[in-house]
Amino acid sequence: MESLEDFYNQIALAIVELNEDRARELAIRSINEGLDLLKVIERGFGEGIRRIGNLWEDGDIFLPELMLGGNIMQECMGLLLPHLKSKNKGYSPGSIVIATIEGDIHSIGKTIVATLLNANGFEVYDLGADVPADKIIDVAIEKEADIIGISALLTTTMIGQKKVISLLKKQGIRNKFKVILGGAPVTEAWTKECEADGYAENAIDSIKLVKKLLSK
Amino acid sequence: MIFQDWLKDESKIILFDGGMGTEIFKRGIKPGKLPDLINLDSPETIADIHRAYYTAGADICQTNTFGASLLNLRNYKVDNKIQEINENALRIIKSVCPPNKLTVGDIGPSGVFKPPVGKATFEDWKSGYKEQAKYLELGVDLWHIETISDIDEMLAAIKAIQEVSKKPIISSMTYKKTKRGYYTIMGHSLEKCVNVLEDAKVSVIGANCTLGSEEMIDLAKEMVKLTDLPFSVKPNAGKPRLDENQIVHYDQPIADFIKHIKEMISWGAKIVGGCCGTSPETIKEIRRLLTSLKR
Repeated sequence: MESLEDFYNQIALAIVELNEDRARELAIRSINEGLDLLKVIERGFGEGIRRIGNLWEDGDIFLPELMLGGNIMQECMGLLLPHLKSKNKGYSPGSIVIATIEGDIHSIGKTIVATLLNANGFEVYDLGADVPADKIIDVAIEKEADIIGISALLTTTMIGQKKVISLLKKQGIRNKFKVILGGAPVTEAWTKECEADGYAENAIDSIKLVKKLLSK
Repeated sequence: MIFQDWLKDESKIILFDGGMGTEIFKRGIKPGKLPDLINLDSPETIADIHRAYYTAGADICQTNTFGASLLNLRNYKVDNKIQEINENALRIIKSVCPPNKLTVGDIGPSGVFKPPVGKATFEDWKSGYKEQAKYLELGVDLWHIETISDIDEMLAAIKAIQEVSKKPIISSMTYKKTKRGYYTIMGHSLEKCVNVLEDAKVSVIGANCTLGSEEMIDLAKEMVKLTDLPFSVKPNAGKPRLDENQIVHYDQPIADFIKHIKEMISWGAKIVGGCCGTSPETIKEIRRLLTSLKR
């Protein structure tokens, strides 16, 4: 068999080349050969989706390729994650409820973040787009989430991010969750004003942020 | 028809209007809702903006219906208001349009995508646009389909309009500049879009939004090589900046915008105007430029 490095690289390539069959085949092989699936996800699939993200940012690929890459990734995660969980019983470095806020239908960035978090082994509850603040909180309570992630792509809807935090305070449960913000208009100043726990400029940074917050 | 005469008149540069959204907020309407609904809640605000653009010297101004196609209204759960939103928008612009100036039916993106990004089909797009176009057709002089990033969606909007209207269409895609040239976010190149739009028999091919005025100059240079049809440019006023209160600002001096518009005219732009961040003040300065060019 090829070296593990080669194997991870083949996975990353399959994602970058949007080769769904090949990606699935490699995911199944990883399971059958008893590989460390977390490493497979991190260094194979995760690396692939990171490369896709870079190609997107450089303007080398476009929205359809980006989404297709995300879809293939998600499908392979569907194959891998049950095995990860059965192997490491109760394994999850943390759980996250994520949504695009009410009035905002932009879901692409949020979906990429959710996919990457999932790929990094987190338990992710993606509520979709245009989600009311109280619904996000209800699910976070129900799932006993560690983190609430709120995305807003419009300057007109980002006020909803603040609303979630205000509601948490009102209900006296602000300290039960770390709240993170995302979306093009979100800045450090806005994060401070909302009294959120952090924000990320892009999907890769969001993973680092979540890891940092959970290690505190 | 006056618009066709303008297109044929080589000495005429047609002046379009500028941005709508920022003008709405300047007049005290709070951000947070679909601007198209203001046609119902505060028609005088919209009339005031159109009036300002016509007074500034615009030859053609467009209805406040950028988001009022069936599919987009459905995204905001107000699709049941499609008729009154579009009819009101038409009534408002007609009430302030001076003689010898024209009204344009504005059609924006549906907000839904085809697979793998979304689930929309060509038929969904077409029927959604047709529903909007049939109300605007009762009064507009021509059409502007704008800020579209999928050439198939643009084609659906064109076909929808052509089923209810024989009026001229300006068809503006929105491009970003990449290392390999101008592409839409869906990966359609300027050349591909121009070819499709020529086949679809639109009257004018355009570009709007996303790009600032400076970045649109090279696009104008390429456009003139790609087509013999007249072309239209409606760039943004540079790049937006958010202040600490999360208010969007366009800091580009109007003089720079005018300089870039002048250059695009020299490359053959037939219709010029502005998109995000431009105002009646911008249009007034373009009018001044056009007057000086005639001398």
